[in-house]
Amino acid sequence: MSFLVEGCAMPFCKGCGHTHVIRKLNDALVQLGLRAEDVCLTTDIGCIGLADALFATPHTVHTTHGRSTAFATGIELADSILAGSKLKNVVLIGDGGAMIGLLHLVNAALLNVDVTVLLCNNFLFGMTGGQNSAFSPLEFITPTTPKGNIIPPIDLCKVLIDAHAGVVARKLSTDKDLTQTIAQAIAHPGFAVVEIVELCTEHGTTRNELSGTAIRGILEAHGQELGLLRSGGDREEFGSIYAKKFPRQPAADRPAASAPMQPRYESALRKKIGVIVAGSAGERIQSSAGIFIESAALAGLHCTQKNDNPVTQGSGFSLAEICVSPTEIYYTGIDRPDVVICVSNEGARELGEKGLFSRLTPSTTLILDSSLEKPETAAELYRLPLRSLCGGEKAAAAALAFYLQLSKIFPFPAFDDLLKQKYKNDRGIFPDQFYAAIRNMEYVPVGAG
Amino acid sequence: MIQLRTGNQMIAEGAVRAGCRFFAGYPITPASGIYRSMIDMLQQRGDCAVSAPDEISALAYCVGASMRGVKAMTATSGPGWALMIETVQYALMTETPVVIALVQRLGPSTGGATQGAQGDILLTEFCTSGGYTIPVLCPSTPLECYELSVLAFSWAELLRMPVIILTDKEVGMTTETVDYSRLPLLHAAERLQRLAPPRDGAPVHTYAYSAAGDVPEFMPVGGSMKVTATGSAHNKAGELKKNDAGTLDVLRHLEKKVRERKEGLVLVKRDFQPGADTLVVSFGITARTMREAVQASRRRGKKVSSLNILTLFPIPEKQLLQAAEKVSRVVIAEENFSGQYRSVIAALFKEKEIVGVNKIGSMITPEEIEEAIL
Repeated sequence: MSFLVEGCAMPFCKGCGHTHVIRKLNDALVQLGLRAEDVCLTTDIGCIGLADALFATPHTVHTTHGRSTAFATGIELADSILAGSKLKNVVLIGDGGAMIGLLHLVNAALLNVDVTVLLCNNFLFGMTGGQNSAFSPLEFITPTTPKGNIIPPIDLCKVLIDAHAGVVARKLSTDKDLTQTIAQAIAHPGFAVVEIVELCTEHGTTRNELSGTAIRGILEAHGQELGLLRSGGDREEFGSIYAKKFPRQPAADRPAASAPMQPRYESALRKKIGVIVAGSAGERIQSSAGIFIESAALAGLHCTQKNDNPVTQGSGFSLAEICVSPTEIYYTGIDRPDVVICVSNEGARELGEKGLFSRLTPSTTLILDSSLEKPETAAELYRLPLRSLCGGEKAAAAALAFYLQLSKIFPFPAFDDLLKQKYKNDRGIFPDQFYAAIRNMEYVPVGAG
Repeated sequence: MIQLRTGNQMIAEGAVRAGCRFFAGYPITPASGIYRSMIDMLQQRGDCAVSAPDEISALAYCVGASMRGVKAMTATSGPGWALMIETVQYALMTETPVVIALVQRLGPSTGGATQGAQGDILLTEFCTSGGYTIPVLCPSTPLECYELSVLAFSWAELLRMPVIILTDKEVGMTTETVDYSRLPLLHAAERLQRLAPPRDGAPVHTYAYSAAGDVPEFMPVGGSMKVTATGSAHNKAGELKKNDAGTLDVLRHLEKKVRERKEGLVLVKRDFQPGADTLVVSFGITARTMREAVQASRRRGKKVSSLNILTLFPIPEKQLLQAAEKVSRVVIAEENFSGQYRSVIAALFKEKEIVGVNKIGSMITPEEIEEAIL
């Protein structure tokens, strides 16, 4: 029995190690007693990428340069998690592709997907003219290292051992037991790699003193061991860990999406308004704005919210821009805000740098914490002791509560009840003194700033 | 039935509705919300959502999963898209269905991570060597995000190719009230599968089709019929044959299968006014601004029509021509400085005045479009 195309001549140069690799891979698949339909060979670019046409019966996927392991990982993830885990995946990749796709090899090893990589290392890029690769030994002569290579070769086996690969071996293509090593790698239920060191008789041996013995010497000189370097790591294969962690849910048992809101308040708002809330990161600026629009939605209003902060999300300013409207909102920008709330210095600095305060007109309600300096502005200004009374983390919510009392665009309890619910505090999240002050409208505008 | 949702979340909900069972993601603002939502939803169902080590892996994992027979999606922004282009071409060449949500931000290069833009229009469509038409769907609201996400899967599966959902930071990351009672009950199409080999024992070819515009029946890697998939130029059997007639025929077929289905694929939203002399054309986030600008202009007594393009590519040529039939001016509004979409549709409008409304750094305002509506 054979998986190879019957009577197929090997397309490789005379003496090329790829011929050995193909035959021994076939022998290993036969030895393992695998069904052809349960085998997927994923090939890379380069001479070894000609392997597809040599196999008659297994699935073959010929991919892009260096990416073969990534495609095989995707096939295996879907196979093991979603399709009953039937496939054995083998990747055929050269030393050129292995370096482009180093990340894919490392990640497949880290995941421990059931993929076996046969890395055919002939020290160079054979198909494109014999250029040096990341695997070329020191002093190796190639058209692109005419005076000898000066970059030490990578020891990919060591890299993949450090990435917890289960089976790692370095063999010569002429090794008599290569079939057994390949079979052992494929049989391993998890990631395995066999680096097969071979001769490129077209480019390698013509410029360098290379032979089976010489190759052993070269590897030894670079501290690259031959043989089975790691066998049978006991890590569980990724698909079975995943399936245990995230068991397949029958449709009926799936948790329903979050409960939809049913509007239960009336709104007095007649046109779209834009509200900007500014403060410091970590002081619940954006989440307070979020609770505000959620309560507005309970009053049947259409809302949008977008947030802004510096690149670091946990420091500096924090900004929320919200639109609230009785009709569908198309444009979500706020070019002329109806309300501006600012509760910290960092927020004030950000708005100041945007030139916002100076652009405001008397039709804008500007609510500032009383600790902040009075900006130059034409807006109607309210200064409230938000931070001192309610604390920094509730200052934004307090300002929005005040605005709601002032504007009455929707009933106060819509917002207040939601705050109580979110903060798990039935009595109300602000001090009684603040509730009383806004109920009695004790805060009055202090005129334009 | 109101929920607060972002466009990113609605794309994810649409994907799950469409039967997406595989997601591989890599974080990038402003697309990370899709990644997060897909992790939540798919893992909860026992479907597969994984973190990839980079964008190249993310899309390659999806393409591999799709070859195994599963609907798959990833999401990214401009910098990640630049890395994915190699694999998008591979998916196109191997006729592998996959959906990519591309949430635009300001470019070039890493650009502005938290700034919206509509600057990847041409980079998205013209990313293939050979210039193949890739469907690009462009929602402007959370509702459209949901609808077009389902549609993207339908077309990816039916055409066996990559389909792009193109949004931007403003559509993707803005939280909005979404009325779920308005969500249509959509069913995504399934890919046409070959279930058994022919009775006469004839060989089953991976890329077999009769007429050049046909879509080959899909066979999964791991199924009972051998798959020979390849990203190199190939004949119907998946064999590498340099420049033979069968290979060139497959290359033409890859474009023809899209072109022949174009009329079923294109989607626009029309808002025509009798007697209008100006047509405003826009898409994505700017289409919402256009809607506001058009209403404001009409309130001021102006007559103006508008066209919101939901499928940027294939270009809805008939719909554009019909919309512009009776106007003398066509205003095209988009958030990039060079007028990318304008550059590919302007030639349609012979003897009409073409006006671009363009901007970078922030959303185009209704006033800026109104100024262009004479």
